[in-house]
Amino acid sequence: MRFERIGREPDYSRYMDLKEGWLDRRIFSDADIYEEELYRIFARSWLFVAHESQIPSSGDFLTTHMGEDAVIVARQPDGSIRVMLNSCPHRGNKVCFADAGNTRRFVCNYHGWAFDTAGDLKGMHEEYCYDNGDIDFKNHGLKNVAKVSSYKGLVFATFNGDAPSLEAWLGDFRWYLDMILDNEEGGTEFIGGCIKSVMSANWKFGVENFIGDAYHAGWTHDSGCRSMNDGMPFPPIDMENSYHASVNGHGWEFGTEGVGDLVLLGRPKVMDYYNKIRPKMAERLGEMRSKIFGSVASASIFPNVSFLPGISTFRQWQPKGPMQFELKTWVIVNKNMPDDIKEEVTKGVMQTFGPGGTFEMDDGENWENCTTVNRGVVTRHERLHYRCGIGRQIEHDTLPGIVYRGQYNDANQRGFYQRWLDMMTHDELGKMPARPEPQLGNVAETRDLPGLFAL
Amino acid sequence: MLDRPLAPPPVEVIVAVTQALHREARLLDNEDFEGWLAMLGKDVSYRLELKSRRFRADRSPPLPFGPGVIFNEDLGRLKMRVDRLKSGFVWAEDPPNYIRRAVSNVEVLATQPDNEVRVHSVLVMHRNRIDGTTRLLTAARTDLWRGEGQAWLLAARDIVLDHSVLPDSNLNAFF
Repeated sequence: MRFERIGREPDYSRYMDLKEGWLDRRIFSDADIYEEELYRIFARSWLFVAHESQIPSSGDFLTTHMGEDAVIVARQPDGSIRVMLNSCPHRGNKVCFADAGNTRRFVCNYHGWAFDTAGDLKGMHEEYCYDNGDIDFKNHGLKNVAKVSSYKGLVFATFNGDAPSLEAWLGDFRWYLDMILDNEEGGTEFIGGCIKSVMSANWKFGVENFIGDAYHAGWTHDSGCRSMNDGMPFPPIDMENSYHASVNGHGWEFGTEGVGDLVLLGRPKVMDYYNKIRPKMAERLGEMRSKIFGSVASASIFPNVSFLPGISTFRQWQPKGPMQFELKTWVIVNKNMPDDIKEEVTKGVMQTFGPGGTFEMDDGENWENCTTVNRGVVTRHERLHYRCGIGRQIEHDTLPGIVYRGQYNDANQRGFYQRWLDMMTHDELGKMPARPEPQLGNVAETRDLPGLFAL
Repeated sequence: MLDRPLAPPPVEVIVAVTQALHREARLLDNEDFEGWLAMLGKDVSYRLELKSRRFRADRSPPLPFGPGVIFNEDLGRLKMRVDRLKSGFVWAEDPPNYIRRAVSNVEVLATQPDNEVRVHSVLVMHRNRIDGTTRLLTAARTDLWRGEGQAWLLAARDIVLDHSVLPDSNLNAFF
């Protein structure tokens, strides 16, 4: 697939110096940079589009966006999943305005062009108006994306035919991802619906907050924390036994105390449940990962997915222009949890990180105002400080990725912007440097890793 | 439940409950949260469930755990939210946002037992935030109000927002 591009290619490396630890504010509001992001990052990355559990049966579909391109994700009669542009090849109108559902056909409102769930054109209103040779049905279906793949329930798609495999894209980050996707037999599912809200902020502020910004929690969320925990402020962080880990722009910041995020969820039954399965989790994923799960932690998958393991909110920051994104959130649970625990998790997520949640309510204003204020004609030429913990990189014999000690750190944020810069400056993804060199190699299953990583 | 009972509630009840809705809106606009809490029954249920945009002929079964409930609160949880707002640590509310609520389309319907009424109303909420942005939210509310002693208390409220995508970054406000 080829994409048209507008304007000259500027030297993006001048927008940051991550060894020094600063960013240029213009990347959060400049319209040309944003257009380039859509082309170089969103049109070339693997993007999350669905959890398999959202579309279990043939004919199930949901609509979403890859970058700003509207797409339909549909389950096929053979069980496979297809992702196609939600745009009629006749005049371009959307063919599906529902959020989700089950259907046999997508029919365009304009001229009644009808497509099956694979995107194949099956007919149209007053078909006789087309003479022989006017239209080849085979070549006028809904444009399918280049590749669709899933990793332990998460479905990703890419417009980029040259993209590496999804496993290679996630790389060593799978070691971390398995803590949320595979901590119990049966895997995960999304429950409840999708909550959507609009924020007047740059999409990167959401991603960078979840990828590494534990630092904001104790201050921004002070009121939420105190009201949920009998007036107690956010617990102090153990800077010795907490970490940042970055892999190719993905990142996970975490403690190893095992309970912090479960306490913040505020649902004792859920805490009990995880404590009960924790020994099995240790057998399954190794001691270290069973200690990390449930700790104060947050994570993002490059470019625009984030989640809180333990609190179970899963979210995507969908770009809608340089100064706006749509936040989509879901609740992720283990499939084998009893129904009453799933219900407890749902309540807990809504009460903490729903749009009316006691924590979520504090975040939006910060990101919105970071975005709008950074745009000022004088302000935007000032640098932003991303240097926290810049000297704390360590070699860790269990944790894969680029690892920094101390949860209060800008390390993962720097890793995210490094990947951003890599994608903005490399025409061929294959030539981007690995950050870091993969340690897990071609291991298909992080559960079966040799002792070192399973520790 | 009968939506149009043969006899409407007495005019005094309709006036009292309608006035209670207006009083509630004024107390909340003025951030008199204690005054508002005093208008709630001990067993109050306060819910805001999300909608998902579906085709009319959609064939899929309902979601096993519902479409997501933004507010699913009892009196304790509502008090907790008020405590949070009053904590002095809610940076996003300092200086205060301006919120104005308009209550309209009030219907007071008789129900059983006699000291309860079912109330439909429409709420328009105008929010002017600390950074100057303004958002308009509209919602339908179905309430149960109960006469206890000299006062009408809110026993249950189901809120339906008229937005499938929230046009705001949070719902830091009572409906």
